[in-house]
Formats: sequence, C-alpha cells, structure tokens
Amino acid sequence: MSARIFTRTNPSALKQCLTRTSALARSTRAAAPSASLFTFRSPLEAPTGKLYEGHIPISPLQRAILAVGSAFTALANPLRGDMVAALGETTSGIFLNRIRDQMLQDPEGRRILRERPIITSETMQLDTLRQLPDGTFGREYVRFLDDQQVSPDTREPVHFVDSEELAYVMQRYRETHDFYHTLTGLPVTVDGEIALKWFEMAQTGLPMTMLSSFFGPLRLSSEERERLFNVYVPWALENGSTSKLLMNVRWEEWMEKPVEDVQRELGVRPCPQV
Amino acid sequence: MAAIRFQSTEATKAATTTEEYDVVIVGGGIAGSALACALASAKASGTLKVALIEAFDLSNHINFSPRPDQYSNRVSSLTPKSVAFLKKIGVWSELDLSRVAACEGMQVWDGVSGARITFDAANVDGVQSSFLHQVFSGNVPTPPGVNNNTNQETLDSSNKEASPLAWMTENLHVQYGLQKQIVGHQARGIKLDVFEKTKVQGITTGQGESAQLPKGDWPAVQLDNGKTLVTRLLVGADGVNSPVRSFAKIESLGWDYSQFGLVATLQIDPSTSTAPGQGRGIAWQRFLPTGPIAMLPLNNGYASLVWSTTPKIAQDLKKLPARDFCALVNAAFSASPAELEYLYKNIGPDGQPLVDFQKEIEWRTGVRDAEMSQTMVRGSSSSQGDDKPPRVVDVQENTRAPFPLRMRNSSSYVEDRVVLVGDAAHTVHPLAGQGLNQGLADVECLTRVIETSLLSGSDIGNIHSLTPYSSERFLPNLAMLGTVDKLSKLYNTDFGPVVWARSLGLTAVDKMGPIKNEIMRFAMGLEEPSNRT
Repeated sequence: MSARIFTRTNPSALKQCLTRTSALARSTRAAAPSASLFTFRSPLEAPTGKLYEGHIPISPLQRAILAVGSAFTALANPLRGDMVAALGETTSGIFLNRIRDQMLQDPEGRRILRERPIITSETMQLDTLRQLPDGTFGREYVRFLDDQQVSPDTREPVHFVDSEELAYVMQRYRETHDFYHTLTGLPVTVDGEIALKWFEMAQTGLPMTMLSSFFGPLRLSSEERERLFNVYVPWALENGSTSKLLMNVRWEEWMEKPVEDVQRELGVRPCPQV
Repeated sequence: MAAIRFQSTEATKAATTTEEYDVVIVGGGIAGSALACALASAKASGTLKVALIEAFDLSNHINFSPRPDQYSNRVSSLTPKSVAFLKKIGVWSELDLSRVAACEGMQVWDGVSGARITFDAANVDGVQSSFLHQVFSGNVPTPPGVNNNTNQETLDSSNKEASPLAWMTENLHVQYGLQKQIVGHQARGIKLDVFEKTKVQGITTGQGESAQLPKGDWPAVQLDNGKTLVTRLLVGADGVNSPVRSFAKIESLGWDYSQFGLVATLQIDPSTSTAPGQGRGIAWQRFLPTGPIAMLPLNNGYASLVWSTTPKIAQDLKKLPARDFCALVNAAFSASPAELEYLYKNIGPDGQPLVDFQKEIEWRTGVRDAEMSQTMVRGSSSSQGDDKPPRVVDVQENTRAPFPLRMRNSSSYVEDRVVLVGDAAHTVHPLAGQGLNQGLADVECLTRVIETSLLSGSDIGNIHSLTPYSSERFLPNLAMLGTVDKLSKLYNTDFGPVVWARSLGLTAVDKMGPIKNEIMRFAMGLEEPSNRT
C-alpha cells in the first residue's frame, strides 16, 4: 500500500471557515499586537497581521480548535495532506524556533536561511537531473519522484506560523521530505513514512513528528507494526540522532554526488531492506 | 586563637618597634578607608588611635586627576543609603559631581523570552521605610502601602524631590574622596596613621600565660617594615581572601560561580536609544543564559559595562578587536541567545573573529526588525515595542578586564578583638550592584557600635561589645546574598518550563506597583528616618 501524504492542495472547508471568522474578528475588535510572548493578549484575537503570502493569522482559541480538529481528521484519514499540515503548523510553533536556532549554528544552515531557496520542479531542473548517471543522488531522486508519480510542486503551503522566517523553515522542512526518502531508502508506504517520522523526531524533536510516530502505528496491521518497531525504529533512532542535522543540508548542491557518498558524508546508513 | 605567619622577605631579627593602637584596620580599600574616616569624624571615636594598613600605593588615589573623556573600568553603584553615609563622613563633598551619574531608572529583561520589568525612581515612595528593612531590623513592621507617618511636613518635604535609584561613579573617585578626608583628619590632629605600601607579615596573639598579662590577648600585627602594632580591636577589611579572617579562624562559606565578570568603559551614542530622554540615567540589564549583561550610565556619553559570562567567553571578549567587541555588546542586548552562541564560537584563539561579525549581526537584526515592524502594522499607538538601550560606538582602550565571580559569607563577623567588614565578611554576585553598598553599611554600623561602646565605657574589642554589629548586619547581608544567588541561578538556564515560569512572574511583578516599590526601596537601602540616635 502506498500513500502520498502531502499531495493535497485543495483548501479545506475548515480553512475557509477560519478565514471568514478572522476577517470578522478583525473588523469588530481593535488590534492588540504583542511585543513579547508574555504581554497579555486576548485569546480571541490574532497576534499579528499577514506576514507572508499564504499567511492566515489565527487567534489562540482558533489555533487550539484547529490543532485538535486536524489531529482527529489526520488520524482518520492520513491522505488529508492539508490536515496533517495544519496539525504540524499549529503544534510546532515553539519547536520551529529550535530548528531555526540549530540552523543558525551551522554555516550551511545560515546560508539557507539567508538565501531562502525554494524547491520546485523548475528550480530543481528535473529534466537535467534525469540525464545524470545512475546511482547519483539527483538521478535516484528523480527516479523516486517518477515512480511515485509526484512532483515537488504539490506541497501544502504554510498558513498558520506567525513568523516569516519560521514559515520558511516549515516550508523547507516539507520540501526536503522527498530527499529524506532518497537518502535513507525508506519506501513510501505507511510504515515507511512513520519510520521517517521517527527519524525526524530523533533529529528535530518536533511534536508533530511525535504525534505521527506514536499514533500513526495504530492504523497499521500487526505485521507492519512488527516490521516497523523491530527494524525501522531502531535504525531511525540511531541514525537520526547521530547524523548531521538534515535541515542544514543544501540538497540542491548534492545532486551530482553518488548516493553512497552523500550517505557517508551525512552520517546516515541506508535503512535495512525487508 | 591561632597564630598565622606569612613568608617574610627579610629575615629580620633586629629589634622590632612595637606600637599600641586602639583600632588597626587591615586593608585600605573603600571599606577600610571609610571606616578610618568614619571613626575619625565621629565625636567619641575621634579620640581613638587608629592605624590603617594598605599593601598598595595609595598615591594614585590621592592624585586622582582623570581626563573628562576617560573613565576607570571599576565603577560601582552607590545606593541613597551609601551616599547619605558618605555625606555624613564628609567624603561626598570632596567628589567632582560631574563624574557622578545619577541612575533614575532601570530596565531588566529576560534574554530568552523578552519578559521585562522597569523601575523608575520617580515611583519610589520616599517616606516610609522599606517593609523588608523593618522585618530584618527586628521592628514590628507596618504593611507596605500603609503610611503611618503623621508628620505632614516630613511627608511633603520628602516627596518633593525623588531620589535617584543610585549614583554611579568610579571606585577610584570614591577612594580619592576618602583619602582626602583622611589627610584632612590627620591635619586636624586626629591620631590616624596610614601605613601604605606595607604588607602584613603575620598576626599573633598571646598564648597561655602571656595571654593573662594586661593586653596579652591583644592581636599583634607584624608589618614588613619592622614595626609591630598591638591593638585593642583588629578590623579585617582585607578583601575576599582575608588573612585577618584566617587568623581569627572564621570559616568562609560559599561557592564560586562558573562565571567571570568582564568590565569595560564604553562610549555610547545616546541618540540611538528609544527610551524617554534618550535613555539618560537608565541602567540596562539583560539576563542571558550564560549570565547577565549590564550597561550602567555614566556622564557625557559614557557607560560602564559589567558582563557576567563563562570564563572562556570572558577571555575571548577581552581579546576581540574593539570594533567587533562593540558589535557583539550591541548584539548581546538584542539578539537571541542562539545567535550569540554562533558568534562566541567564531572567535579565534588569538581573539580575531572567524566570520564577519558586522555582517552577520546586521543580517539577523534586519530579520528581527522586519518581523517586529510587520507585527506592529496592525497596531494601535501603544505598540511601540520595547525600549532599546543606546548603541555602543567604542570601548576605551585597556579597560576590558575579567574577574572571577563568587559568593562567600563568613560563618561569623566577629571574634574576640576581631571584626570583619566588606568583602572580607561577604562577597556577592555583581548582578544587583550591592556588594560595595553592603560594605559601606557594615562600616556605618560598626562605627555606631564602637561609638556606643565608648560612650558606655566598654572595651571596644570585647566580643560582647561587637555582637550588636553582628546582629545588625549578619541577617541583612545573608538575605541579600541569598536573594542575588537565587536570581543568578534562576536566570542561568534556558530550560523551557523555567523560562516560562520566571517570565510569567517577572511580567506579573512589573504590573504590581507596590511590590516593585518595595523591591526598589530594599535595593536602595532606604530605612526609617532617624530611627537611631
């Protein structure tokens, strides 16, 4: 069974509802911006204005409702990419700070934050990558995209993160997801995706990864669960914690290297094939 | 009591001259010199024969004649209580007030969360004694906010001029005032002998039978100039490693902080501060996880820096080129701890930065400012953001100096014929600017106690005469040490739940006027007026 989690771009009914209610709130109440986390602010008002393209400012109350609602929806139907995205954005606010701070410690990570490269089929030049020799990272990456019949353009944009830089960090995190598959060799099955979430949890500590890691397996068959916990999870925890922080990697510049070299330099062993 | 012998550089067996004194003060620092002045200026104690011993040359104190564009890097904040004492002993009038800066306000904030508390001298209630002081002095306290002073005149006159929170001036400047007073007293005929450039070689006391002879139990101080001073009362004002304290076998309890304090004299551009009045007279302190960084106001566009941080960072900061050092200090007041971590890591072993500090800091400042302005686009007029301290434009050459930070308290301040004042008795973290003030409070109290003993005909060196000093000073000093220590530990972490709790607490206290008032008055040392004769 193969599942592609992040493909949906249709705005959900819930999101449209949110847009309407925030517009209503804005028009009826005075603005109350906060300079620091600890200034008292009403739970019914969004703390900032629109900070970037696609930003939907929501109040703390809306955020709480969205977090709970999207959690249940995503658990019931993991194919709802927009719900998974919403869950990630409403719960990961504080931890995106941590990823960004880790990126600030690394020269390559700082370059990414400064230049903010975007990954689309255009910027990746997929046709050029297809011409690369077999066994190079770029060739295997495009092979993976073609097999799954997906493209890097189908990611859900970021809506609910109240900071331009952190929204970019979230977007980069999503966009680099396909590279993680190519790097680790994990299949795009449900248990493969969950294994990758365990890997990311070991790396980043994002709560969304923890939610997927702990609740996702509930949906698996017992055989798949066994494979997950006996093979994939130990591998994921070991490699996730010892490898270089993948958010600091400028994937665009590693395309011509052989996959083994990339794995070696980043400190990741390919996952066991079962 | 035991004897301590130090290594003597001269094997002198020649007949040593012995002189008798009533009080011998070991240590000519601010505490020791202030005690000498205070004793000389009081009526009864002015008849005592006092000696002041100092190992270093005091001439650079009495010859203090600095340029208006240079400030020494050892600057202290003097509370109103300390200033009142200095006025009383005639030192304040000797000072050049153009080199004394009034601190009218303080802004203190959390480097991780941004939670802030602001103190303004104008809000301090001038009349009533601090509740906490009343508690520690053993009086029946009146609750904060209740004004039971029925003297209307006192009320009106005290509130007319709000006192600054503190005055900032160089330690050398205060030393200068003290030495001038000492010379003045000597000229008046007061028996005050100063032994400068003189080291103490040993302190002994009579043992066994000789202790039974008259004055046999008096401490004898052997100086390296061959003299021996025998004294009724020995005062240890000789700093944190006090030999007098060791002689008296008094234990010093406490710990070393894994932090060094780096001081420096900064040149600032007041026009860059967003605080009212361009931040003149405002002290700024930001708590970083590595330790607090503080900028204390001086006059004429200068400021004093006290940055408590890890030993490695303190040493690196000293070696950095001036331009990068100033950029880093500015960043330390605004950038996130993660951003600062990156910069600390990129200081080479010779002190040269491994990356372009200016560029990196500019980039991060740009990102931060963009987010701030976006956040305020929706805002009403109240959204000014937090006040910013003035930008540092230069650092005075050779003023960057690190020193280790520690907390110490002696198990006792008094022994038979021995008393400790100042750093010899207690050492505190500099984050609250209290150390010197505690020392001056000790001196003021001891002078009073000695006066009282004299007037009642007691032996000033007898431990029973000295106990009132210990009772009065021990608990307040301990309380201050403990509070400052807990604050230092509370802010030494960036662990999420602790940050959240302390920020919530700080923000809450910032909104509670009466409590802030109490804190300010406690820190300023304000007490009930004329509580004592």
